[in-house]
Amino acid sequence: MINRRRFMTQLSHSCALGTTAVTASSAVLQLGLARTAAAATLPSVGDYRALVCILLAGGNDSFNMIVPNDSDQYGEYASLRGDLALPQDSLLPLPGTTASGRQYAVHPGMPEVQSLYGAGDLAFIANVGTLIEPVDAAAVAAGARIPLGIASHADQIAQWQTAQPDTRSAQGWGGRMADLLAGANQANGISMNISLAGTNVFQAGNSTTEYAITPDGDGAVGIIGYNDGSDFEAFRRRTVDGMLAVQHSNLLRREYANRLRQSIDSQAIFTAALAGTSPLASAFSDNPFSASLQQIARTIAARDALGACRQTFFVLVGGWDHHDEVLANQARMLPVISHGLQEFRDALAELSVLDSVTTFTSSDFGRTLSSNGRGSDHGWGGHHMVMGGAVNGGEIYGEYPILSASAPLDIGRGVYIPTLSVDSYFAELALWLGVAPSNLDQVLPNVRRFYSPESAQAPLGFLTL
Amino acid sequence: MTRRNNNLPEIYRSALASALVVTVLSGCGGGSSSETPDRPPPVPAPSSPAPEPPPVELSAASIAAASRFTSQATFGLAYEDILSVASAGHASWLEAQFEQAPTYHTPIVQDLLARRARGEFEAFEEDVELLVNFRRYSWWHHAITAEDEVRQRIALALSEILVVSDQVDALLLAPRSLSTYYDLLLDGAFGNFRDLLHNVALHPAMGLYLSHVNNAKADPASNRFPDENFARELMQLFSIGLFELNNDGSERLAADGLPIATYNNADIREFAKIFTGLSWGGEGAFFGNTQANFVSTMQMFDEFHEPGEKRLLNGLVVPAGQSGLEDIAAAIDNLFNHPNTGLFIGRQLIQRLVTSNPSSAYIDRVASAFNDNGAGVRGDMRAVVRAILFDPEAETPLDPNRAGKLRSPMVRNVAMLRQLQVQSSDGFFFHSGFLLQFLTGQSPLSAPSVFNFYLPNHRPTGPLAAAELVAPELQITNSTTIAGITNLIDIGVNGEFFLDGQPPLGQVTVDFTELEALAVDPAALVERLDLTFTFGAMSQGTQELIIDIIEDLADNNLRVKTALYITLTSPDYAVRI
Repeated sequence: MINRRRFMTQLSHSCALGTTAVTASSAVLQLGLARTAAAATLPSVGDYRALVCILLAGGNDSFNMIVPNDSDQYGEYASLRGDLALPQDSLLPLPGTTASGRQYAVHPGMPEVQSLYGAGDLAFIANVGTLIEPVDAAAVAAGARIPLGIASHADQIAQWQTAQPDTRSAQGWGGRMADLLAGANQANGISMNISLAGTNVFQAGNSTTEYAITPDGDGAVGIIGYNDGSDFEAFRRRTVDGMLAVQHSNLLRREYANRLRQSIDSQAIFTAALAGTSPLASAFSDNPFSASLQQIARTIAARDALGACRQTFFVLVGGWDHHDEVLANQARMLPVISHGLQEFRDALAELSVLDSVTTFTSSDFGRTLSSNGRGSDHGWGGHHMVMGGAVNGGEIYGEYPILSASAPLDIGRGVYIPTLSVDSYFAELALWLGVAPSNLDQVLPNVRRFYSPESAQAPLGFLTL
Repeated sequence: MTRRNNNLPEIYRSALASALVVTVLSGCGGGSSSETPDRPPPVPAPSSPAPEPPPVELSAASIAAASRFTSQATFGLAYEDILSVASAGHASWLEAQFEQAPTYHTPIVQDLLARRARGEFEAFEEDVELLVNFRRYSWWHHAITAEDEVRQRIALALSEILVVSDQVDALLLAPRSLSTYYDLLLDGAFGNFRDLLHNVALHPAMGLYLSHVNNAKADPASNRFPDENFARELMQLFSIGLFELNNDGSERLAADGLPIATYNNADIREFAKIFTGLSWGGEGAFFGNTQANFVSTMQMFDEFHEPGEKRLLNGLVVPAGQSGLEDIAAAIDNLFNHPNTGLFIGRQLIQRLVTSNPSSAYIDRVASAFNDNGAGVRGDMRAVVRAILFDPEAETPLDPNRAGKLRSPMVRNVAMLRQLQVQSSDGFFFHSGFLLQFLTGQSPLSAPSVFNFYLPNHRPTGPLAAAELVAPELQITNSTTIAGITNLIDIGVNGEFFLDGQPPLGQVTVDFTELEALAVDPAALVERLDLTFTFGAMSQGTQELIIDIIEDLADNNLRVKTALYITLTSPDYAVRI
């Protein structure tokens, strides 16, 4: 087992120190050591940076999150959406006009998003989605290659995390980033990728799995009696450590034993680090989304104790598959997102890491503009938000589609072909986090179909790289 | 609270406290049991068929084989019930299970609702949790006590394929929605898969969950089209899957080396037309009714059903002018008869019951039983269950290092309760599974989405991916939940798990007298636990560890609890090979 004194020496690690010499018997630490060795080939990544991925699972109807607000396009919107259209006088206008002279507004339940946009801390990415190659409706009709299982939840929610719509993969682009960057962090068994939603595809890489924490307490759950100062701690440790020292030849048993060992070892480090942080003055609402963001803020506050220079965080908010009651459900759910983003932004400012943390949304797909009578069905392209001090906010990146009954992007029922691939969206985030341009296609295997990593231009320009 | 609770991390103490609130509230109804004649009769637990006194000459090998077999066919049996299966012979015991009448869940929910209506829970009318728990109580009571233990196990496996979930408020708050759905699965477990699929399509819980209730025909003038949700998942998850399969379950590849999709978006739109015109059934039904009815089958209203022909899969054209129910029957037949269905469903049932990585030959054998039960009948679930459980690969893994499956947290929880023979003083188990769900995220009929708790092809990175193995249950096994299930077992072995039986409810207890007597000889205790829980295959290292540790303990009760803790939290037990 891991010796406590060694933990303490590791806690003094800082981003500037680079690799640290540690020896270990634990498989967890050995994995970390391997990464540390690999870190010798890493570019210097400098100070702390983190990406926070918010996955709106089920397919957010984002054509009602950001809505055309000039009279002709609002009119098209209203006629296409029918009973799903939001009244124009209820919308919250976004300041300014786009390059093409258009005006947009956000859902009435998102005043904080409106104000974050106005303050330049938030940008929208319009009509982004999974693509194998750039296509239009004619190409789709002629049989161009489109993502596997288009409009299927399981495939699309996975492809938004893998960025590989031409294959089914268990590895996500967050995991592949960690394969490259995690060596910059302390090797202490706590992954660079931290999940508030358990196991997920986004954070799984070749040598990376997520570290799952809970929104409550000090985040990490321990084995009763093992590490809690109980009067039977010595006995419990003899029992559990003895059990986990037994060797198994069956691969599933080995994996199970490794996961239990890793859970025990890293819990000690994680809870100590979080318990050592000062309480946040910024308030968070009492709901699971805000609680998750609060725990992320606390984890970021503990970054030095955790030896973390680069991190990703994963938050999942479910329940967006609104085949039914889309208006009522979004009126209930979008305010939770909007309010939570503001709270998180305030906490990051309090911690003086506003410029070091970029938060972005993803979702399975957009939804049909047309109604099924009560809700909308699975679509393709959709709109997303990016928030943070490094974000060149107050802008809409990509092209919000011109809505019409005969829109060239419409492949039926108001399913719009994305005009921006997730590859371009994610490339900007990955480069910002510290992935070298020369390594970008290790993270995003299809990126060259949409963006040249050798380009002097940023993929979209919503971040200052 | 007992002494041990004081050592629980805060997170558990608050979970236990919440669990207590719920169960103590519900307890007030249970306390007046003697005045409620129509309650379910007390059932001793666990109540497997009263065993014939086992013949003296059962070999350890035959006990181990019966233990192994019942760990696949049931949630797990207590030692003496394993002995009676060994005596009876696996095949004849299974045939007897097939003939056992189903133990339905809805009668218990009805009874609890009736007691609530009579005001027995009056003091708690505001308490939503109570209503939420009625369906859960029925599930756990039967999982612990029912005599049709194979049927109950197969129904749970089916519930992980034909998914509905109480994570939708409308279903959470209508306990009969999911109890009647579960009863449908209990019937389907030993029935015909075609009928099962048809019943699922018309069940109101599914109608709500996948939104084909009140799904109207297209109205192009207002740019409104049928909801595609159920149509898609019916194909993708409930019958044929996304890609055409070879007989061994592998994907067929086209000339370009890519898998061949079983359907495209146009097909989904055709199937969506089929599932139009359904609304809530029951008295005074009308299309567009917003008053849900979860106890009657959904009713077809043909004037809201999409007219015109529908082009389904494999060239089937459903002619215009049929009734809506005729259309649905044709669509269900179309999918039921698709060559993928036996392979797609069979593989997942093997994964739930036996192994995560069945060989292609094993899948082929099970699919063949699905396709023809030997008497020319397709979809006979008894033939499928026999094929899964009596396959040579179920009895002896081809490669023990690659074989087996991780037991899911919910199955580990039920197995512990059954195999430790918990007793309730009034015969009823008011158990909500709340703590299980809090600690592991899993609870029966409570998946986060229609994709169940895990995907059949989940392939963890690292050594398992390198060995090209999948492990669905590992998808929900992370640093939080693995500590959670370990602690749940700890709490249970120490008796605190059974706090659902706080007074005035019947007290739930576990009796370790027999194991304590064995514990005088640590090796004898280990042998018994090994035969009961790991069918004689506990690794040498784990056996030696248990003996080594409990030899130092003077108290036999502590010896039993310690030995059980190690056994039930060990990789030996968690992964059943």
